[in-house]
Amino acid sequence: MDRDVTLEVRGLKKAYGAVVAVEELSFTARAGEVVGLLGPNGAGKTTAIRVLTTIFAPTAGSFAVAGVPHTRPAEIRQRVGVLPESAGYPEQQTGAEYLRYHARLFGHSHASAHSTATALLDQVGLAERQGSRIGAYSRGMRQRLGIARALVNDPQVLFFDEPTLGLDPAGQRQVLRLVEGIARERGATVVLSTHFLGEVEDACARVLILNRGRVVAEGTVAEVTQRAAAPRRGRFRVPAELRDRALATLAAVPGLGDAQPLDGRPDWVAVSLEDARQIPAAQVKVSEAVRALADADIPLLAFELEGARLSDAFLAMTDEGSV
Amino acid sequence: MRPGAWRTVAGQELRDLWLGGRGLLLLLAFSVLVSVITYLGATSEGINFLEKRETVNLTLQVAVIFGALLALLVAADAISGERERGTLESLLLTPVPRRHLASGKLFAALSLWFAALIVAVPYIWFLGRDVGAVDDALVAGLLVGTLVAISLTAFGLIVSVLASSNRVSLSVSLFVLLALFAPTLLPGGAKQGWAGELFQRVNPMTAAEHYMRNVVIRQFDWTKELSWLVSPIVASVVLAIVAILVVPRFISLRGGSPG
Repeated sequence: MDRDVTLEVRGLKKAYGAVVAVEELSFTARAGEVVGLLGPNGAGKTTAIRVLTTIFAPTAGSFAVAGVPHTRPAEIRQRVGVLPESAGYPEQQTGAEYLRYHARLFGHSHASAHSTATALLDQVGLAERQGSRIGAYSRGMRQRLGIARALVNDPQVLFFDEPTLGLDPAGQRQVLRLVEGIARERGATVVLSTHFLGEVEDACARVLILNRGRVVAEGTVAEVTQRAAAPRRGRFRVPAELRDRALATLAAVPGLGDAQPLDGRPDWVAVSLEDARQIPAAQVKVSEAVRALADADIPLLAFELEGARLSDAFLAMTDEGSV
Repeated sequence: MRPGAWRTVAGQELRDLWLGGRGLLLLLAFSVLVSVITYLGATSEGINFLEKRETVNLTLQVAVIFGALLALLVAADAISGERERGTLESLLLTPVPRRHLASGKLFAALSLWFAALIVAVPYIWFLGRDVGAVDDALVAGLLVGTLVAISLTAFGLIVSVLASSNRVSLSVSLFVLLALFAPTLLPGGAKQGWAGELFQRVNPMTAAEHYMRNVVIRQFDWTKELSWLVSPIVASVVLAIVAILVVPRFISLRGGSPG
């Protein structure tokens, strides 16, 4: 096995009686990599994480964490850190006490548990509140405490299940920066399950899209997007007084779809790219359109490509798109 | 994993129970109850020697039953409560063997019984000092109460692991306690004959009550009637073994399913 590979999953299946939650899940992840786990509700993300973190036993298939096979769950738990979805916290404990307790459960001595807890609380920005009861923490603080707890055993693979759920935008950004920092500075593999596709585009090197328990796409964000979501429309923002000229100019470009004004937005025009099934073809058409506008001395103030985002790929590949 | 991980669990559970205030609150309710019983016994005028020993025995019984009940309540919440509060998963993600989790929680829950016994000591001393019943009552109370508390705490923990919800766990535990305790309230006639005695001996609660009565009221030596402690001993040993060695494999995020 490649020494950099920290997580290797082969044909994993988890069924609850007749209900199959995860099936044929296979992927590998390397040290320092952030892998996004995407999927609609009920796609099997949380179940997959619970199997990979030894909370549930797999029904079939196998996996290994840092070379340790799934048949040795206690050893795997020494090597993984987890922020579970909707994790609860003992309200009466302080943040420092909570971390010290978990460090002790991972085999730290009293002194080591104390220093580890102090360092981690500092890392997640809770040093000043370490003596406060968790019951007085905000949701964002609890999530950061949960991230610190996931790090007490200095894990090689981290699983974050919806870490930004219920946080305000500032809290989301803060948690996401923490996650990225952990992968970068500790060289740990991070599996990030989230509903927020923007987070995945920002933070993840690779993505896995799950639908009904099966992987429907895997690769880099660009690869997945390219495979599933060809651009549908290009939108150009030009000075409002030049909009009609822009429409005429774009209409004259050979092979470009109909140029249309956008309702209620007097400075925008849109061009259909439906004929360009692949991203490279669409890019050529867009380039031609931009060049035509420049040749006509029409300033291009902004440009947007509809249908070429991860969210479009997500909708195209999952049940969310059929709702 | 260190072999003493259960001590880490027990230490944290004890801190949560006693420093978190829950244990103190339960103990406060317990001491109010024992105070009322003691007050009623102490203010009854003109009671003879035997009746004074009856009062000591009544107070001791209340201490044993309610002390064990407190431990049972905490044990019945130990796993199902963690599951409902969402804190169980983070414990299961540690490399601590599940039997260590169970042992630590069992130990912490049992501390309530010992705390209740300590609270009851001055009351028993106050009621029994004139009739020389203090030593008998404390020895019998410690012996019998500890066996009953171990049985009930282990039973509560077993139910807590297997129950689908915390409410079910607490309800089942209380129901079983009441079912075991109810026969001690039967009139003496119902306990006559070989069937009546067998019934008393098989039920750990009635057997324990009979033993305490003989030691405290009838002043038998505490070693004389040990045969009455067979069922409390068997129950405590069997239930403790099941709670620590068998049931922990069923500790999981879903009540009753193997982990």
